Amino acid sequence: MSRSRRATEEPGWVRYGLLATGLGFLFFFLGLPLVAVFVEALAQGLPAYLEALREPEARSAMGLTIGIALAVLPCNIVFGVAAAWAIAKFDFKGKSLLITLIDLPFAVSPVVAGLIFILLFGAQGTFGPWLAAHDIKIIFAVPGMIIATLFITFPFIARELIPLMQSQGKEEEEAAISLGASGWQMFWRVTLPNIKWGLLYGVILANARAMGEFGAVSVVSGHIRGETNTLPLHVEILYNEYNQIGAFAAASVLALLALVTLVAKTVVEWRMKKETAMLNTVLAPEKTG
Amino acid sequence: MSIEIRNISKRFGNFVALDGINLDIPTGELVALLGPSGCGKTTLLRIIAGMESADGGEVLFSGAEATHLHARERNVGFVFQHYALFRHMTVFENVAFGLRVKPRRERLGEAEIRRRVMELLGLVQLDWLADRYPSQLSGGQRQRIALARALAVEPKVLLLDEPFGALDTKVRKELRRWLRRLHDEMHISSVFVTHDQEEALEVADRVVVMNHGRIEQIGSPDEVYSNPASPFVYQFLGNVNVFHSRLHGGFAEVERGSCEAGATAFVRPHDIDIVRQELEGGMPATVQHVHPIGPVVRVELQHDSEIIEVELSRERQEMLRLEAGQAVWFRPRQMKVFGQEASLAPPPARQPFLF
Repeated sequence: MSRSRRATEEPGWVRYGLLATGLGFLFFFLGLPLVAVFVEALAQGLPAYLEALREPEARSAMGLTIGIALAVLPCNIVFGVAAAWAIAKFDFKGKSLLITLIDLPFAVSPVVAGLIFILLFGAQGTFGPWLAAHDIKIIFAVPGMIIATLFITFPFIARELIPLMQSQGKEEEEAAISLGASGWQMFWRVTLPNIKWGLLYGVILANARAMGEFGAVSVVSGHIRGETNTLPLHVEILYNEYNQIGAFAAASVLALLALVTLVAKTVVEWRMKKETAMLNTVLAPEKTG
Repeated sequence: MSIEIRNISKRFGNFVALDGINLDIPTGELVALLGPSGCGKTTLLRIIAGMESADGGEVLFSGAEATHLHARERNVGFVFQHYALFRHMTVFENVAFGLRVKPRRERLGEAEIRRRVMELLGLVQLDWLADRYPSQLSGGQRQRIALARALAVEPKVLLLDEPFGALDTKVRKELRRWLRRLHDEMHISSVFVTHDQEEALEVADRVVVMNHGRIEQIGSPDEVYSNPASPFVYQFLGNVNVFHSRLHGGFAEVERGSCEAGATAFVRPHDIDIVRQELEGGMPATVQHVHPIGPVVRVELQHDSEIIEVELSRERQEMLRLEAGQAVWFRPRQMKVFGQEASLAPPPARQPFLF
């Protein structure tokens, strides 16, 4: 025998087979499409690509996408922190129901979510006549898109914070109160610094989803060019019009956004791991001296 | 500041954590709440601190009603079992926290805060650690920082929840002595929770022994140890041999194993004499094991079918030279007898007894 093998080690062909399957899948379903997006977008050269992005409709779509994300994220931060706080630090009836409800947007198809809002706020919907009477436009307008995006993205931050806050317990908050801190002082000086990386992680995920959301937003937007078109909707419209360069140029912006998100996510994850490792080191019993 | 606890009770669902607790803690005393886990001692401490609300009864601070006072306004210093230091703040900022969150008109200037914090860090002998983070400290250091932080707001009462629970024996002993000194210097009332009887007996002015949400006994460390009010206290404080006996008037006839009349006699291992010759009124037994443990020698005797634990001094063992298998006679020097119902026990005077 030239080389002994550990008893728990799989034979070589199994290991390489698994590796090849994984990498192959990654290449065909993630790598190739990503490359294709950029190749198609740049098919007629950089000037055409930039021209497609400089078009007023493309720019308005980008602006709207960013605007919706900016409107949605603060609401989600407030809701996520409040919900996680309530769930992690208090015991109350209906707690498990609340946790289940927070997961609802993950379970419901985005198109159905969009439809729900049409049924509620649409012209024939529950609040439709009242809204029409007061001249408030929600469906086929930006407010509807914001509401739909809110619905889709609200679990991300809460989901991220609940386990974090549960593991941290409430002793530090109690200590702050017993030292005379008010509720606000406790939150700003003790709670928030302890959850900041988890919160940032949740914000990044929610942001990625808010900017990329298609289904729910598509249902409530009405696809009014230059007005209620976000980037994903814009891509679809251009593609249907056989505007390859425009569609792929817009798609490439979304892809770049995804890459940036990925990098940010990794950095935050790494910082979070480092910090929690530092902050949560369990004490070895103290040695004397 | 004195603390009075009047008829406090607390339930968690069906579990009775505290059942009509009455307790007075005079100003300047160091009181230990001692009991097994689940006896309600931590709950009582948290009720005094205002972190838990009682279902019934009231808490008075210096005679004034404080039951519904918010934890923030009680002016108590609380030291948590796991320290609960603010992990993202330096040691300095941890100690300064209580000073920084004061309302603006009461808040001290930055220089004054700095002076106070360094003074406190000096008091706990850790001023050289001011810029470290809690995660960089050892357990004993964290504990002392937690104390300094609690003392920064000049509390009238210091409450400590199992303050030395997570430390190893040697550090624990040092900190105990240090806490005692600190308490005497600061002139405050302190209450600490512990399940370690040695800790309670060594540090406290008074010991409150608790079990099942009730107070079993309140007394000085010597009182609760040498004159326990109930079988529970007897068994919880130190080792004890239990004899079941028949009561004859004031005398107990002790017979191991049979408990028809239902009285029980308790004898501490160090209150038993062993002799090599037959002893009038003594009981015969066989030596099973001899374990020298530090300054004492623990001997296990077999009497009938039961094991009796005896502690001898080393000198005594050198005289006796006991070995496993030897036949010996033993006799308790003193013991305490409780009736069947602990609450109906005969007056807790020491009983002469016959075999």
